[in-house]
Amino acid sequence: MKSDKTKTAFDIAKPVKKSFFHQLSKQRQLVLMALPAILLVFIFKYIPIYGILIAFKDYKASAGVWGSEWLDPIWSNFARFFKNVNSWNIIWNTLKVGAVTLFFTFPLPVVFALLLNELKGKFYKGAVQTISYIPHFLSVVVICSMLNGFGSTTGFFNDIREFLGMARVDMNAGSTYFLWNYVGSAVWQGVGWGSIIYLAALSNVDTTLYDVANIDGANRFQKIMNIDWPTIRPTATIVLIMNVGTVLNADFTKILLMQNDTNRSQLDTISTFVYQKGVVEGQFAYSTASNLLLSVVCFILVFSANMITRKLDPENSLW
Amino acid sequence: MAKTSLIKTKKENRIHYGSKAFDVFLILFMGLLSLIFLYPFLNVVAVSLSSNQMISTGQVTFFPRDIIFDGYEMLFAEQDIWGAYRNTVIIAIGYTAVNLVCTSLLAYTLMIPDFVLKKFLTVSLLITMFFGGGTVPTYLLVKNLGLMNSWWSLILPNAVGAYNVFVYRSFYKGIAPEIREAARIDGASDFKILSQIYVPLSKALYATFGLFSVVQIWNSYYDALLYVNDQSKQPIQMILRKIVFQKGTDSMGNTAQMLGDGVMNKLNVQYACVVAAMLPILVIYPFVQKYFAQGMQVGAVKG
Repeated sequence: MKSDKTKTAFDIAKPVKKSFFHQLSKQRQLVLMALPAILLVFIFKYIPIYGILIAFKDYKASAGVWGSEWLDPIWSNFARFFKNVNSWNIIWNTLKVGAVTLFFTFPLPVVFALLLNELKGKFYKGAVQTISYIPHFLSVVVICSMLNGFGSTTGFFNDIREFLGMARVDMNAGSTYFLWNYVGSAVWQGVGWGSIIYLAALSNVDTTLYDVANIDGANRFQKIMNIDWPTIRPTATIVLIMNVGTVLNADFTKILLMQNDTNRSQLDTISTFVYQKGVVEGQFAYSTASNLLLSVVCFILVFSANMITRKLDPENSLW
Repeated sequence: MAKTSLIKTKKENRIHYGSKAFDVFLILFMGLLSLIFLYPFLNVVAVSLSSNQMISTGQVTFFPRDIIFDGYEMLFAEQDIWGAYRNTVIIAIGYTAVNLVCTSLLAYTLMIPDFVLKKFLTVSLLITMFFGGGTVPTYLLVKNLGLMNSWWSLILPNAVGAYNVFVYRSFYKGIAPEIREAARIDGASDFKILSQIYVPLSKALYATFGLFSVVQIWNSYYDALLYVNDQSKQPIQMILRKIVFQKGTDSMGNTAQMLGDGVMNKLNVQYACVVAAMLPILVIYPFVQKYFAQGMQVGAVKG
């Protein structure tokens, strides 16, 4: 009975309800195990959330977050953002990049998965699949270096232009080709990888459904639309909701690399603006305020996307 | 009756031929797509090895023309590529170790039904999936903790992610709880149960997520841009960023001279560095790609 203490550390069958601290001390080994992760999450996720307060303060590094004076009026940083001449341009850019990206990167993996599922020949199918994943593993710096090289006057994109009878131009200068480069590379990188979850769902289709469809004389397209698509629709819905939430979080690490002196102000999005003002120029409070605006809008977007889904397609909503 | 059946056969035939044509189209189309997925890699390698004359007249496509190695020689002479590799490997190993250990420990405790902190910790983690402090508050925190220019700044802030914890927990839940009960009755502590039973039974999980985290670190530059200014401590992606995107840096003085002579194209050095930055990942890719695909499914189905 001596080792009783360790053995019954978390016996569910105890009928008497013990106090919280009593249970806690009994489960101290579990607490100890969770502790490193708890500390990391608390320090690096929660303290920065508290740090958002500086958006409302006249932040002085010497005084710290709490010691700095509140702004008067308290929303001055937000007012300043909207008064900025360039701010509407920034908001428009953020929406444009996000929306166009979503428009292409969400449906194309679905189409790719449906087509790949129709492909005959197990080996060939596997090879195409494997090849299609490779671009996913490239870093954003590699992608942008490629775009930078391909778009230069002697690069691959300009070889195509010349082949099509167009003049060679520097596609990295200005903002004319930015969106094509940005979205095109996102599709190239993501279409194979994004199709994995759909292919997983498709591999679970009950094959007798195809036999029944064959007896009914359904053609390939009808089978795809009536068997395959309904199978992956729940997954697609969830992916869509998640993507809508990140629509304003365009990959700004990519945009930062694609910006140069000829197009910096034209390509600014909220996230690059946050980086520029905060980290480069040291306007911490102003940058944090802009970032907070972005987070709030993103949260509203996920929430509304989910609300709409719940109305249209109640079974597939996220919550 | 005979008439209708005839019509039906005709229709079936049409479907049959249409279906065949579609198959052929698909085979060709997928072949074309594969080419599009692969061509940029081939082109980058080919250009990095070709002479300036061939590059500037647009004659390099799949294979190098007039092979020169000047781009690579220049790159390795001017930049500490081996040092950057070493830094990246150390950061990747450190990050992966902290990530796997902390995530496993937390996920295990959250799997236990009567753990008193279970609900509180789960909700706290969920919140971090939707809210975050953002760039500047995190930056200030790292600065205040004195982690600037230290590799810890690249390891600790993102070491525990809520999504990973939940995937690990689902995976552990798939292991029969009777095993844990039995071990407990035999007097094993929870730490021992995790390290000697759960971890060995979750090899697929660790293979996948370990590799994910190595790739993630290998490919990231933004945290290093924020936190590590010391050139000798920077990871490989920062070197590539410097070479391609920071024009007019004195570090490439010799290169500029060479370019002036017309021996080399600037793309020689840039693409040589692109190859150096992506090659290690591409070399291990064939060996690990099946785990990646499996892991995505673990995350998608159970997460």
